[in-house]
Amino acid sequence: MLGSKSVKVKLDRDLFDRLRKVADVAGYATAEEFVTHVLEKEMLHFEDAGSDDDIRDKLKGLGYIS
Amino acid sequence: MLKSIKRFLGGNRGEPIVIVSGLPRSGTSMLMRMLDRGGFEIMTDAERVADVDNPNGYFEYERVKHLEKETDKSYVREGRGKVLKVISFLIKDLPDDNDYRVIFMRRDLDEVITSQNKMIDRLGTQDTTADREAMKEAYRNDIVRTRLLCKNRPNFELIEIHYKQTIEDPVATARELNGFLGGKLDEAAMSAGVDANLYRNKA
Repeated sequence: MLGSKSVKVKLDRDLFDRLRKVADVAGYATAEEFVTHVLEKEMLHFEDAGSDDDIRDKLKGLGYIS
Repeated sequence: MLKSIKRFLGGNRGEPIVIVSGLPRSGTSMLMRMLDRGGFEIMTDAERVADVDNPNGYFEYERVKHLEKETDKSYVREGRGKVLKVISFLIKDLPDDNDYRVIFMRRDLDEVITSQNKMIDRLGTQDTTADREAMKEAYRNDIVRTRLLCKNRPNFELIEIHYKQTIEDPVATARELNGFLGGKLDEAAMSAGVDANLYRNKA
């Protein structure tokens, strides 16, 4: 469920219909809940550098971090 | 404008530190050499010496490699008015009591990874990292994170420089860098510091 400070985002109708079907099958209460979950998960890739062990291992091998 | 106001409210931080950043093997040492030749003072301990991977030198400051773990980062202030090389993964760990002008080097990710893999082979270190496509995805995220961070923190300003364009037209890159850094650098000396022969790993 979206909070009181929610904003509207325009999506292509076909995309939204697909989202709604997947959200329903996957057990989300609404398409909005599904979209919010996917976006939050995706944004973690960009906001949480600490979890990037692949990069950390590579940089250690190259001698760029301790 | 908003960043200028926030910086002003942040107090006296002295001269900005110029950060040369990017992924390892993206051309950061070449940029350091350009700035060195152009007249900028480099913050380096010269501990990592030139080798076959970087015949013209690394221009690194060894302690920076511990930025993620070290709590006392006050030494970074010594870089005010100078150039310091910090790989993109560690930009997030720079202390907030300085202003930073970040020069972010971009290069084709396949070229970067090929060059990194050759370096790891030569160093004889163990490579336990993911396959090429997963590594590219991780690096793409790293680049976006760096851009986001520089946009969100008021004491950061960012310019992106492209490796291949610099090889092809060093004069244009020297001009762009000089404009970003205040216009007092020797552009001819900077562009002469670009050695196109070192463009060895091509996509």
